[in-house]
Amino acid sequence: MECSILQTNIEKRGLVFDPRTKLLLLLTMATFVLGGAGQKIGLGRLVFSSISSCLCVLPFVLLLASKKKKVAFTYAVLYLVMLCVFIFVTPITKGLLNFLILGTAGIITRFLPSIVLGAYVVSSTTVSEFTAAMLRMHVSEKLIIPLSVMFRFFPTVGDEFQSINLAMRMRGIGFGGKNVGKMLEYRLIPLLSCSVKIGEELSAAALTRGLGGNVKRTNVCEIGFQIQDILLILLCGAAFFLLILSTFGML
Amino acid sequence: MIEIKHVGFTYANSDSGTLTDISLEIKKGECVLLCGRSGCGKTTVTRLLNGLIPHYYEGTVSGSVAIDKLEVTKAELYETSKIVGSVFQNPRSQFFCVDTTSEIAFGCENMGLPVNTVRERIAQAAQELNVTKLLGRNIFHLSGGEKQKIACASISAMQPEIFVLDEPTSNLDVNAIEDLRNTLLSWKAAGKTIVIAEHRLYWLKDICDRVVYIQDGSIAFDIPMKAFLEFSTEHLAKLGLRSLSMEAFHVEPMEAKGGAELILKDYCFSFDGLQALNIPQLSVPIGGMIAVIGLNGAGKSTFSKCFCGLERKFKGKAVFDGTAYGRREMLKKSYLVMQDVNHQLFCESVMDEIQLGMDEENMNDVDTILKELGLADLSQRHPMSLSGGQKQRVAIASAILANKEFLIFDEPTSGLDFQHMEQTAGLLRSLWGRKTAFIITHDPELIVRCCTHVLKLEQGCVADFYPLFNETKNRFADFFYKNNN
Repeated sequence: MECSILQTNIEKRGLVFDPRTKLLLLLTMATFVLGGAGQKIGLGRLVFSSISSCLCVLPFVLLLASKKKKVAFTYAVLYLVMLCVFIFVTPITKGLLNFLILGTAGIITRFLPSIVLGAYVVSSTTVSEFTAAMLRMHVSEKLIIPLSVMFRFFPTVGDEFQSINLAMRMRGIGFGGKNVGKMLEYRLIPLLSCSVKIGEELSAAALTRGLGGNVKRTNVCEIGFQIQDILLILLCGAAFFLLILSTFGML
Repeated sequence: MIEIKHVGFTYANSDSGTLTDISLEIKKGECVLLCGRSGCGKTTVTRLLNGLIPHYYEGTVSGSVAIDKLEVTKAELYETSKIVGSVFQNPRSQFFCVDTTSEIAFGCENMGLPVNTVRERIAQAAQELNVTKLLGRNIFHLSGGEKQKIACASISAMQPEIFVLDEPTSNLDVNAIEDLRNTLLSWKAAGKTIVIAEHRLYWLKDICDRVVYIQDGSIAFDIPMKAFLEFSTEHLAKLGLRSLSMEAFHVEPMEAKGGAELILKDYCFSFDGLQALNIPQLSVPIGGMIAVIGLNGAGKSTFSKCFCGLERKFKGKAVFDGTAYGRREMLKKSYLVMQDVNHQLFCESVMDEIQLGMDEENMNDVDTILKELGLADLSQRHPMSLSGGQKQRVAIASAILANKEFLIFDEPTSGLDFQHMEQTAGLLRSLWGRKTAFIITHDPELIVRCCTHVLKLEQGCVADFYPLFNETKNRFADFFYKNNN
């Protein structure tokens, strides 16, 4: 299935993490890899670039642990190739070519780990785990319900999108066809109208099952911090601790 | 138990489904069938019962709806949800979670039941409806029938007194309908009240006690099931209802014209190592109207995707006119009319839509085709604003104008009443002899009206293939009605 990246497969999950750990991890990744926090000169540079490198390995490990070998290795290969290009090819090229290679490799090495980690978080968290985690964090139900609907909606939109693609191929709309310029429009119109209809039916079904009642919702989903969560949290904590130290000039 | 008194209702933004004056009293433990033509208001009645009207679908409502002492039109939806459970038409859009267990838990969680009670109820509901094997699965990977079972289980876990079902079998195959029938029987045995709005009637013969026929927003008759079973098929047809049994079906023999043959070679395909389709060779008549039947998962949709050239890794060939055509050529020559036809309408007007991808040579035929398909007056309308049947016709018109030789229809009559089913059958019959069509369907009434051949698939293989005459109709009748005689 092509869109399975956004569908949580709970049948064979492998190692499970608490959703809160995953959120913290995402935040850490965004700060150090995407944001490149703390990478100044001197000793700090060395420390934080090694933190950043460690973090880049994480999505690979996590994907392997959740039995998504194909995605894991694709990520590893793509990242390593781009890193090699960045390190070895950029110094020996010049001019526009250098600029292009530097840009592509730079952007991909910075963005890819966070994107892959994001996809991992979405694809490994079920709606009920997510709501349970939000409840534990004392987030308001007014925010939880729309967010959980979004979680439910991603795979649906993926499904719809696939059917629309098939329909377009039968009509000969695609690269090389007559209507390349309208490809986006032709995709969005049916997608919007189908999504609106499904959204409407979805809300009706949820309401007839008592969503939005006056009692506090319970949740049967068991979440909690395990040993693997604690390890990851310590890692993230250490990274932020070092960042604070360096901000106050102690590193 | 349920008391509907002089209720009238008009939707805020639609004319169909309006109720003028409905009064209905349903006792505890009764099982009531609501039937009538499309748009007669039977769905509206189910929405009155579960409170979606007036709390979710807006409009003007008069009269009163009471369940025991609860005034449904005034009570909050979550109050009503504790005593009325609803199952809807589309299994895709009525589950809220991604995995089955949390889905069954969802309603109970909303009621704020303690975690242990919820667990017990999940186990109990799963056992009663025989879905224990489905627990802990990803709902997106289930078949339509399995999804509908989970929907029933999740309602069952809330233990409501009343079950309201709105066309629950529209997307189901024979076996799934049989499962749903058993579910309903178990609810009935437990003394629950059931109200069901439905087009397909044959499977409800021994479930419902009462039949309420709704016409133009009011009740035309309200009789016991026994009396309803006496109705002749012609009488039912006049009322716009599907038939109750198979015996009455009459096949109008149609022969494939021309005599040329289309040979399908190496129609084998597998995903994830599972053989989904395995047809080494099959020859079908060109110009035939071929019904493709089989249970969910028998390979019907894989067959249609492979035929249309939509499966990229498919290697099979279609041979006709002395040439073997591969995937890419077949993509140009064939067209799949999808079950949800909304997926294939892209343009701003019907005119643009049917000219998109059209052969320039056919410019002169545009008006003829529009007239022929009854779309002449609609050519400037937005396709999305049309009714389901009209959308289907737009899709067919665009396929004809694009010079497609092979048309595949994926369940063209799911959820249609008698009249609309006949219209679709007529439309398909008009293609007979001009195009070769494969019609994937669970609808025996459609097959006897417009097909020349029946192709039965089983686990990806051809189980049976024969021309359709009155003499051979029992061969597929057995398949559709094996459990209902």
